[in-house]
Amino acid sequence: MIHLRGITKIYATGKVTTPALLGVDLDVARGEFAAIMGPSGSGKSTVMHIMGLLDRPTDGSYLLDGQEVTGLSDDALSALRNQRMGFVFQSFHLLSTATALKNVLLPFVYAPRYPADAEERGRRALTAVGLKHRLHHRPGELSGGECQRVAVARALVTDPEVIFADEPTGNLDRRATYEVMAILQRLNREAGKTVILVTHDNHVGEMCRRVVRLVYGRIESDTTAPAPLDAAALLAALPPREEDRR
Amino acid sequence: MNRLGRMALQALRAIWAERGYAALMMIGLVIGISSVTVIYEMGEGVRSQVVSMMSSMGFGADAFFVASGSRRAGFRRGGGARVLTEKDLSEISRLVNVDLVVPQLSINRDRISAGSRHTLSNISGVDIHYAASRRWDLAQGRFLVAADDRDKRRVAVLGASTAKELFPDGSAVGRSIRIGTSPFLVVGVLAAKGFAPSGHDRDDRVLVPLSTAQRRLSKEDKFSAARVNLVDAGQVSDTVEEVRAILRANHHLGPEVPDDFTIVTPDSLLEMVTRQSQAMVAMLTFIAAVSLFVSGIVIMNIMLVAVSERAHEIGVRRAVGATRGDVMAQILMESLLVALMGGLCGLGLGMLLARGIGAGMDLPVAFSLPGFGLSFLFSSGVGLVFGVFPARRAANLEPVECLR
Repeated sequence: MIHLRGITKIYATGKVTTPALLGVDLDVARGEFAAIMGPSGSGKSTVMHIMGLLDRPTDGSYLLDGQEVTGLSDDALSALRNQRMGFVFQSFHLLSTATALKNVLLPFVYAPRYPADAEERGRRALTAVGLKHRLHHRPGELSGGECQRVAVARALVTDPEVIFADEPTGNLDRRATYEVMAILQRLNREAGKTVILVTHDNHVGEMCRRVVRLVYGRIESDTTAPAPLDAAALLAALPPREEDRR
Repeated sequence: MNRLGRMALQALRAIWAERGYAALMMIGLVIGISSVTVIYEMGEGVRSQVVSMMSSMGFGADAFFVASGSRRAGFRRGGGARVLTEKDLSEISRLVNVDLVVPQLSINRDRISAGSRHTLSNISGVDIHYAASRRWDLAQGRFLVAADDRDKRRVAVLGASTAKELFPDGSAVGRSIRIGTSPFLVVGVLAAKGFAPSGHDRDDRVLVPLSTAQRRLSKEDKFSAARVNLVDAGQVSDTVEEVRAILRANHHLGPEVPDDFTIVTPDSLLEMVTRQSQAMVAMLTFIAAVSLFVSGIVIMNIMLVAVSERAHEIGVRRAVGATRGDVMAQILMESLLVALMGGLCGLGLGMLLARGIGAGMDLPVAFSLPGFGLSFLFSSGVGLVFGVFPARRAANLEPVECLR
């Protein structure tokens, strides 16, 4: 589905140029569950932003389902993001004034046509992440883990082919990490969603079938684990918490 | 609900979330739009008031005034050198187009007393047709009659305010007053007329017979002003020039010497009033323009701050599919709606103010459609124009930078 060839990204701030990616070749097939890992400054977020069409490479080719997207207009990229991709960020990026449901419906606002069954789909997405009882809560009234699950619901409400997650568990405790990873694994396993996530947490990496390691803007290793850890099982093994018995 | 409606709703929600900012953005617009509203709602009223004031001065299209003094605009109220002589007036009255000349004598504002009470008032020596020609009604007693003037009787007709000041019990007719040191008998009281648009009390006056005023008060046989009634109103300007020639000759004014009198025609008076009200409108418009501009700058700056504070929000909207155009439209919509709300508040405040001022000054106030339209146009214009820069900045943000 995703074919990166010779992707280079050089940031130019004034006279100083900082290379972030130095010729990355990467293929991700439909239905993969991949982690991009590496130390700070390795370019792991940059490569994900380029794959997610949030950033443009300085050089190289990006075929998305056979379509070259590096030359597309800004509006065309917006439309692709809207219809074929979902995003989850480290700091959730929810609209603080809107309820969980309104947040989940945000992608529909920018859809070519606002679907008539938008609310129903929003409810279903929130139910899928276990937040059926939190539809009308605002982010301030939710825990960090719940916020990230709202963000996951927002990413999947449009039924995209691929979900990009940038450090999705970076701000979460262990339990919430397992909850979010369990949802992503289930989406990958049951709905066939392609999941590409960036993380520097090796434990999270162990939950991903494929791990791509970047160092200094180049791919250092690309490994596939035959049996990644099951987040749902890890979650079940944790001692139960009072607040969860609702 | 369509896309625009949903955008407006989102904008309203964003404005509500930042209502402190929104209030700040609206202040300037409220001031600007309320002044525009006052201008428009009172403008018509002032104009109609001027017209009715002119008719109460006996000013139809068929008369003009000759007043002493060379002031270009307006009358002198009492005092000053009186230059019109008996000879001037009789020569004017012999002009073909002149029907009637009604002289008037203004005396300096002087002390009027009745028993232990006293007040200051404008004293005029007037012709017996004075009240009738101005459509002034009497509240009590009678007006001056021919015999009063012929016999130089010491009788007076009081304006409503003056009468109330001197005789709070209400009955003035038959009582005696002193003008300066001379005793006079009150024979009538004029019906109240209220304040002129200029703010002066039209009921603050004492009228006495012309001959009595010359003999007892001014102690000279000149007049301060005269109303000239015309046979043919169409020839006002010709007659004005004839009158000017007579007066310049009689007063021995050389070619280089300016007039020592002023001729006020209905047109010149209307022009003067119009000029004055235009000056007022210009000033209020200036205030409005300045406050609208300032509020525009305020809106722009606050929106810029809001845009950078909301970079994350813009980033996430871009990530889920908002185009640059969507972001720009959103910010523009917000500044437009804030401005419109400010305009609406200003309109409400302006209408309240206009009605307050109108009630206080006894001026008519009317809803003005052009004023409403202009308020609407101005506020939305300010919102759009000054929203463009922040909106463009928001639209040009790179999603990656916003999400960092």
